[in-house]
Amino acid sequence: MNNCRWGKVLIADLTNQKFDEQDVPSDVQEKYIGGKGLASWYLYHLTGEKVDPLGSKTPLIFAAGPLTGTMAPAMRGVAVSASPLTGGFVDSYFGGNFAQEIKYCGYDAIIFTGQSESPVCLVVEDNEIKFMPADNYMGLDTFETNHRLKEDLGDDTYRVACIGPAGEKEVPFALVSCEYNRHAGRGGIGAVMGSKNLKAVALKGNELLAVENQHLFDQYVNQARQELADSEAVQELTSCGTAATLYFSNESGLLPVYNYQRGTFNPETLAHEAQSQEIWLRDAACHSCPIRCSKVGVIRRGKRRGTVSDIVEYETAALMGTNLGIQDIREVAYLLYKCDALGLDGMSGGSVIGFAMDCFANGILDPVDCDGLEVKFGSSQNVPEVLEQIAYRRGYLGELLSKGVAGAAQSLGNEAQEYALHVKGMEIPAFSPRGAPGMALAYLTADRGACHQRAFPIAYEVGGEPFEGEYLERLAIRGKARAVVKDQNYIAATDTLVKCDFGSFGISGDTYRKLYETATGDKLDEERLLRTGERIWNLTRLFNIRQGIISRETERLPRRLYSPLPDGPAAGHSFSREDEEIMLDEYYQVRGWNAEGVPTSEKLSQLEINLERRW
Amino acid sequence: MKLNTPRIRANFDLCTGCDICRLECSLHKQGGYNPRRALLRLESKNQGLTVFPVVCHQCDNAYCLQVCPHGAIERDSTLGIPLIDKNKCRNCGLCISYCPLQVITTGNEGQAIKCDLCGGEPRCVEACPVGALTLVQEVNLNE
Repeated sequence: MNNCRWGKVLIADLTNQKFDEQDVPSDVQEKYIGGKGLASWYLYHLTGEKVDPLGSKTPLIFAAGPLTGTMAPAMRGVAVSASPLTGGFVDSYFGGNFAQEIKYCGYDAIIFTGQSESPVCLVVEDNEIKFMPADNYMGLDTFETNHRLKEDLGDDTYRVACIGPAGEKEVPFALVSCEYNRHAGRGGIGAVMGSKNLKAVALKGNELLAVENQHLFDQYVNQARQELADSEAVQELTSCGTAATLYFSNESGLLPVYNYQRGTFNPETLAHEAQSQEIWLRDAACHSCPIRCSKVGVIRRGKRRGTVSDIVEYETAALMGTNLGIQDIREVAYLLYKCDALGLDGMSGGSVIGFAMDCFANGILDPVDCDGLEVKFGSSQNVPEVLEQIAYRRGYLGELLSKGVAGAAQSLGNEAQEYALHVKGMEIPAFSPRGAPGMALAYLTADRGACHQRAFPIAYEVGGEPFEGEYLERLAIRGKARAVVKDQNYIAATDTLVKCDFGSFGISGDTYRKLYETATGDKLDEERLLRTGERIWNLTRLFNIRQGIISRETERLPRRLYSPLPDGPAAGHSFSREDEEIMLDEYYQVRGWNAEGVPTSEKLSQLEINLERRW
Repeated sequence: MKLNTPRIRANFDLCTGCDICRLECSLHKQGGYNPRRALLRLESKNQGLTVFPVVCHQCDNAYCLQVCPHGAIERDSTLGIPLIDKNKCRNCGLCISYCPLQVITTGNEGQAIKCDLCGGEPRCVEACPVGALTLVQEVNLNE
């Protein structure tokens, strides 16, 4: 009986090409549960001092959750490391089946340390663990790498995570492809893999996962499925994925349009109806997920015909579509296919192209310096070539944009800052915060830089959902911190299970706890769950402070958001430095941090965070 | 009018690849969750554009039954499908090697196990959230 977790991690030392199995210390399991919690603890304690994200001292951790691999619906995996994009903590989540296979191999996580001298793949088949030369796969895109590796292993049932050319070249927004359209996308985990000379990981495990109380576990699985079926938000995901959100954001004026100049754009040609007509053929689901929000298909007409594509999600439909003023969904799908194949995060990729379009339009970039590869709002012309140049770090433009918007703006000088939409180096997601100040605070304070998945106060500000029984005034600057903190703690807490955010639209906190309890036999009351979330949030904050990325100067909004939004229901709204200060002061206070945003010693002892070195 | 042997029919066009069928199968036939240990497979093709569930055909001309050197596989009298008698199985693996659909696998004690339609009410069929698996009994119009 393993109670669906092993209490064991595999440490793969790339420098010495050695393996070690370690037991997860019981106090760590007690305090950090698993998933994000466990991985954050290992990251903090394995580093011990400030690290270069692409240096040999940075660990790379792939963690499953305690329920991952069981019948519990919508459980995933997380990749955790130091981000070459922000310099700080990064956790990047992926669906599909790769994390489940970590569990079937008998581990809760795989931790890579050091750097290999030559390119390698890690291959695990049950107890047989080996490094395999990867020279033959270097330069291959993610699809081809996956295919060739399985062919060479003689078994296409291996579950593979790999990087493309962008990861090999350590582009700071390179992704890890987890078969095929599931990615650890944000924050440059792919570059960390590249820096380690780790081209791919292939897993095949035969271990069975058993739960503590099958009868009760089955009951709560059914309960979770019922909650999913009853949720209107989940019903929408089942029928059209996230693509319908384009309408919501357009109506609310929150869409990124022309590199965040505007907030509205008719989404008709990009949303679910158009995608269904031009691309979709079937519903696809991640492991044990009844939601099936993925819609796989093929572009059947026009110059991109024959390209197999998954759904173009809200985030990428907006950042690579409306944000660039591109209206043809086939072009957007093709650009994202290029990103997936090259191993580039499509969100940061869209933002970087939007930045370039703005710089060309404003004379900061000159086509003459860029081999004539000008990109213009409203057109996809040259964009595929520019994405290639970024991934291979070729040419002036490719080299420049491969730094991400923050790095590129720094190279181009002060004037370019106007067009660089990021917080702490992470390109901001596709919910423009002008018109939703709570969302701005969420971006300012998220542990991995601008992120919409660590708190989503738009639900309260615009979505009509009450927060603790009260409706929040949409444009108010004050009174948003508590909602942000509560969301952040809850999401961090449930990411110890590595739940899918979409699953959490339906599955209640109580049901998550009951699934955990009946599967593991470990008691998890609400207080412990939420305290764990807060503990993780404070630990990752400490990591970011140690990495030197936290200050009042870095917790700032991009300059463009200081100008009034020209359109939509929130037209005229903008931020000022004072707004930011008010929100941050309030947030630090709610968090129990000092005025510089540093957790106080009282807070750390209250949360029983032990910083003593373990290695 | 003659009824054929009952079979699970895979409606691949509906399959989402969620693996719930295989989790249900491995739980009930092997005692825990792992799709790899289930008695049916999912074959993904063309970057996930299609997923084909591969289920035991309950063959009329059963290779497994023919190759077994120990007489451990016999046609069951109620459902008419080939079943493995685990007391007679000597773990030689021949049926696993020659199953044309590669859906016979190894059990926890090394013995071969194959789909027995859960006695006539297959769990995988019941568990599939989209109806991609159905239990059918065809009318044989040729006889």
